[in-house]
Amino acid sequence: MFTPKIGGAWYGYIVGSLLAGIVLLVVLMQLPQRARKYVLWTVTFLGGLFYALEFFLPTHEMLIEGNKADGNFLSPFVVPMTNVLPVISAFAVGLGVINLFQMHTKRVLKWNLDSINSVAFFVAMIAMTVGHLMAKSPHPSPFATSLYKVLFEGALQSLDATMFSIIAFYITSAAYRAFRIRSLEATLLLATAIIVMLGQITLGQLLTHALPEYLHVEVVRNWILTKVNAPATRAISVGLGIGSLAVGLRIWLGLERGSYFDN
Amino acid sequence: MKALRFLQTVDRRVIYVLLMLSVTAPFFLSIRLPMMVSPATQAFYNAIDALQPGDFVLFSSDWEAGTRGENGPQTEAALTHLMRKKCRFAIISFQPQGPKLAQDIAERLGKEYDSVEGRDWINWGYKVDAKNYLKGFVRDIPGVVKTNNKTEPLEKFPVMRGIKTASDIKLLVSITPSNVYQTYIQFVAGPLKVPMVVAPTSVMVPEVFNYLDSKQILGMMPGLPGAGEYEGLLKTNTKVTRFANSASFAHVLIIFLIVMGNIAMVMERRQSARSGGQA
Repeated sequence: MFTPKIGGAWYGYIVGSLLAGIVLLVVLMQLPQRARKYVLWTVTFLGGLFYALEFFLPTHEMLIEGNKADGNFLSPFVVPMTNVLPVISAFAVGLGVINLFQMHTKRVLKWNLDSINSVAFFVAMIAMTVGHLMAKSPHPSPFATSLYKVLFEGALQSLDATMFSIIAFYITSAAYRAFRIRSLEATLLLATAIIVMLGQITLGQLLTHALPEYLHVEVVRNWILTKVNAPATRAISVGLGIGSLAVGLRIWLGLERGSYFDN
Repeated sequence: MKALRFLQTVDRRVIYVLLMLSVTAPFFLSIRLPMMVSPATQAFYNAIDALQPGDFVLFSSDWEAGTRGENGPQTEAALTHLMRKKCRFAIISFQPQGPKLAQDIAERLGKEYDSVEGRDWINWGYKVDAKNYLKGFVRDIPGVVKTNNKTEPLEKFPVMRGIKTASDIKLLVSITPSNVYQTYIQFVAGPLKVPMVVAPTSVMVPEVFNYLDSKQILGMMPGLPGAGEYEGLLKTNTKVTRFANSASFAHVLIIFLIVMGNIAMVMERRQSARSGGQA
């Protein structure tokens, strides 16, 4: 249904799609609140209906994108839908970026002590975007490659890893303070946590190596995880699944209240 | 009494220093703790070991630098095994940093095991919206993926020969700190019966056990200890064992602190009871 465009046509389609998207968004924003609600509800309902019918209607063997597969009259449209929907996600990201720019521009213009964080946002975002575009060009210069390496590996990856590692310190401190045997439940939780932790590490496994196999800490840990933990988490998963289904139905049928469907 | 109170209220900065020492000490000490392979890791290993040379594997690298300490060694171990087995594989990710991180590891290992990008493996890059993407992906891989991460068309790469739908995938490997693996189970492994293995971070292990127990996945490489066990099975000698020792020492410290705090609390209560409730 959709064929890749090459050369000038590619740029034409990109610009055309962007303009069409902007026009669509502007029109949508100009609509009265009530009309906008019905447009959004209709699009949501049709989108949900497509996937529901495609899943529930009887299937038969057919050719889909040149491959033999089981499907119905809606199945050939699944792949085009897969290709189209990321464009909507890209628009959502674009709107997010615009929103961030608006918010941080206001903070910079008001200038106070906190504005430095907004300046950091602009510097980081522009540097990362420019660095990435330069490095991913058809013939990147050594400077562009180095800049990308410094920004991505030197800054982003290290900062990301550092932020995540800090959690270990808080967890250790919190575990020390919180795990106190003040009641039967707390004692059970503590004993279970210690067994699972010991079963997870080599040192813990070594401690019980001389005991009969059924008393090995890793065996006890596996028993706890599969016989005690699994049923409990499965029950939670079933509850979550039913909850998700209910929320999905509410959104699909336009019953959900929120910024998109209500005042 | 004062000492018992102190043991219950150790300053958090002291705990931070102790943790830092316990994590970094193994890097300067050559300790080799015997590694016992768990059934879950063994099953993961067996799933890859059962593959034939040329079999196509989908390698989902859904992690970012934040969890590199665990997911990095897991990726390295699984890719080493795939390259040794001469399997073809495609890297895909639903996390922005994922493709680059896996690419770096694959390029480095590729030099060692003569595994060439384009011929033996390919990087499909970052994709958005896993549920929607996989729904189309399972029916028409070239039609949905279209290009590699450098926007070159898939047709030009020998590694893609004969790969049309998800049924052509012989194994799905998911390295993840998130629940993306559940989406793979829902849309790929479940409906099309594609065998799947998962390498989660340690904190996710109890949750993933459900799917291992129900045999919806064949095996699991549980966090950093799992990567260490896998390294033992591969008989490679990298820094993973030292990483695993760090994790071991940190766990022991946490257990020690908890036990110490509780013993002090119980002793203080007894002393308090003996002295007529005056704490």
